[in-house]
Amino acid sequence: MAEAAIGNTPWSMWYKIRIFINTHLVNIFAGGLFVLLAIFLVFPLVMVFLKSFWGDDGFTTTFYQEFFTYNYYYWSFLNTMILGLSTMFILVVVGFCFAYMTTRGPMWLRTPLKICALMPLCAPPYIFSISLITLFGRNGMINNFFGLDFNIYSWTGVIAAQALAFLPLSFMMIENVLNSQNPSLEESASDMGASEMQIIRSITIPLASPGILKAALLVFVMTIAEFGNPAILGGRIPFLAPDTYLMITGEGDFNMASVLSVVLMVPCLIIFVLHNYILKGKGYTTIVGKPTAVDPKEITPVIKTFLLAVITPVVIMVVLCFAVIFIGAFVKIVGVDNTFVWDHMLNMQSNEAIYNSVKLSLMAGLFGAIVGTLLAYVIMRGKFKGRHVMEMMALSGFALPGTVIGVGYIMAFNKPPFLLAGTIWILILNCAFRFLAVGVEAGISKLHQISIEIEEASADLGADFITVFIKVILPIMFSAFVAGFIYTFMTTMMSLSSVIFLVTPGFDLAAVYIYLTAQLGELGLASAATVKMIFIVLVCLASLKLLAKKTGLKSEKK
Amino acid sequence: MSNKEKPMLELVDVSKSFGDVEVLKNISASVPKGELLTFVGPSGCGKTTLLRIIGGFTAISSGQVILDGEDIGALPPNMRDTKMVFQSYALFPHMNVRKNIGFGLKLQKMPKAKIDDRVDELLALVHMDGLGERTIERISGGQQQRVALARSLALEPKVLLLDEPLSNLDANLRVVMREEIRSIQERIGITTIFVTHDQYEAMSISDRILVLNDGIIQQIGTPTDIYETPKNKFIAEFVGYVNFLEGKIESFDQDSELYSVSTEHGNVSLNRTNNKDLAVADEIYLVIRPETVMIFSSDSEDLPNMLTGEIQDSMYAGNLVKYTIRCGDREILIDQYNPKDSIKFKRGDKIKFTVPKSVHALPKKG
Repeated sequence: MAEAAIGNTPWSMWYKIRIFINTHLVNIFAGGLFVLLAIFLVFPLVMVFLKSFWGDDGFTTTFYQEFFTYNYYYWSFLNTMILGLSTMFILVVVGFCFAYMTTRGPMWLRTPLKICALMPLCAPPYIFSISLITLFGRNGMINNFFGLDFNIYSWTGVIAAQALAFLPLSFMMIENVLNSQNPSLEESASDMGASEMQIIRSITIPLASPGILKAALLVFVMTIAEFGNPAILGGRIPFLAPDTYLMITGEGDFNMASVLSVVLMVPCLIIFVLHNYILKGKGYTTIVGKPTAVDPKEITPVIKTFLLAVITPVVIMVVLCFAVIFIGAFVKIVGVDNTFVWDHMLNMQSNEAIYNSVKLSLMAGLFGAIVGTLLAYVIMRGKFKGRHVMEMMALSGFALPGTVIGVGYIMAFNKPPFLLAGTIWILILNCAFRFLAVGVEAGISKLHQISIEIEEASADLGADFITVFIKVILPIMFSAFVAGFIYTFMTTMMSLSSVIFLVTPGFDLAAVYIYLTAQLGELGLASAATVKMIFIVLVCLASLKLLAKKTGLKSEKK
Repeated sequence: MSNKEKPMLELVDVSKSFGDVEVLKNISASVPKGELLTFVGPSGCGKTTLLRIIGGFTAISSGQVILDGEDIGALPPNMRDTKMVFQSYALFPHMNVRKNIGFGLKLQKMPKAKIDDRVDELLALVHMDGLGERTIERISGGQQQRVALARSLALEPKVLLLDEPLSNLDANLRVVMREEIRSIQERIGITTIFVTHDQYEAMSISDRILVLNDGIIQQIGTPTDIYETPKNKFIAEFVGYVNFLEGKIESFDQDSELYSVSTEHGNVSLNRTNNKDLAVADEIYLVIRPETVMIFSSDSEDLPNMLTGEIQDSMYAGNLVKYTIRCGDREILIDQYNPKDSIKFKRGDKIKFTVPKSVHALPKKG
């Protein structure tokens, strides 16, 4: 008998290796990924942290003392918090108004409003700085037209740009909770005699509060981490993210840059933990049994007037901002000299920057998708301890301000053993690891949908682990892989805050190019590059949507 | 006395269309004070839509909804004196039991102490004393049902609307809650509309039943009317099992008040009491309920209305035996109760069975 024979003969080397691979491969992968995360995500942060305490003479707290003594530094922190809080308040109100309209308002208005609220997603956040300068700058269209002397390089400008840029974030989260509320609850309150205002106050808002809170926290984190808008419109007002950049490019002071980074990172990490581990699963399950389809009802006129009063100016601003970018790309100077020109679009330097960005994004996307998919698999199917730590590490890249990771990368990878500075690899790794979260989450949700029994059945039928992985797991996870790829590609295209630390002279990236031309007031060039970027991003979004439709993959955008 | 005659709720020619689809066609019905009327019908028949029209959640296309003499067709739900218990209960998850029940009272600006008293009273009514501080998540499905009921009753509505209130409960609890709802309803004498797709539930809880299908009222009547003298084949089949036997009325005997009906399996006589609208030469269906048929062995003596057949299948269910009888080219279902004291037949046994004279008949056309 064959079995007996095996029992007696010593196993061949190959057979032993196969057994080892079959039993341990997940853990081997896990170990490798752990090392990668440690080097490319944790190590730079540790460097930042150490550098904030490590001067020429070893450990010291002088840098922090300096931070809290000098007006300029701690005002930078306070301003950043004020910016975060005010944008947060504005966007909670605006996001709620939009979401209420698109979920309870008249049918014909829902889709156009939704498109409008989501439009800023397809452009980098700093596009609004460029538009606002075009409209309200010293030579801005609206300033000129109405003879105003409005200064856009101010608090108002920064907050407006931030609010427009992060509207989709707030809108999506609030719309999601409003949409998932059991419509019977509002009907039931109405049945009990409540007016629409009373329903909103006592039912709708309390039930949506977990989602509203999440929206507020996310908006806060994204706003304080945003580099472009405060850098371009901030003028003389100090903010942490742009100051970190200036500290390095202007003064070469890595210690103070690290202190500023730590100060910026701490609230972000606190909110990340709060958001992922404390608020997770919080919320009301409001759907019991099958709720009946609800007939849309009219919104009370008073409430409708209020909603429209909030929504209309925002809609006008969003549309206007996109319009001036598109017009600006094709005319000499918008509002001043409206002659049609191709110069901006055909500018060689801009096209080269776009080309470089595409190249970088492709590589970062591919790398990020591979790592993300493997991470998702290992996190879901591995049996080792520390899976949750790994998941947290993988997802944290999203919450960390780009400037902080940028500073960390320069310090971590400018000398052996990790000498990467000046190569394209430092950019690829930076983007791939920062934007891992979506690929990992898509992978995890995909694996949630399929039972582990599929893999066990394949193994039971005699398939090797590697065969199972290639023949079963990869095809199943392919849509998550593609989602991770496209998402990383798209965000890398637009990302400015981190790469600005890492680019070398002569290697322009589109985002950096747009930032620098906008700083110089070359709005036509900046607009043209932005239009090209928007086009590429729209293609990405369309393919993501197509993918979601074809595979039923939920695109978990944040 | 006139107050007694004036209905609490009246539907006059109520129609509703969603786009081109007409889901309710000229529904007219009136509900006297204190009655429990059930809307029953297969899913998609429009029963929930009709209930939502009464509650004010769905706008009416044409017709009138009259509550206690007042046309409320144009009023929004918060201005109607009808209260609804939703299928999903729609309890507010961010409020405890007490706050849920007191929600409507608070909106009416009732003083806090009075609200507390009223809520206590209602908690006692639905047997939930002492559970007022619980959150909604921490009470069972049956208790959630009670809270939803108490919340609707808190405002002492003129009409209580119940939308499939028992469909989320398991079978045993459903029976308990059904009896409880009925007993509370009778105790406080509230006019109630109850929607269900379950015909047994409808029969056991209702004063009267309104059978809906395809947006048309098929029949309104007491459970007995609906079960024993259904107006058409749809109703007969919708409530319980039924055998249809085709026949033709050959003659009518004045003295005995019996019709003589010929069927392909033999002649049957039929009482006139249940079938006043029939006339000689009418083509009819006999509506034979399985439990009304008596079964005999083939050697027993001939009785009136006796037909013959052969046992094709039998299923023992403890309290009864369900026989399937082959009778010519058709199958007839017979339920024989108390099988312990009767002969048990096997497959292939030749048998005789009697159709009662009281059997209901439906005209084949019309």
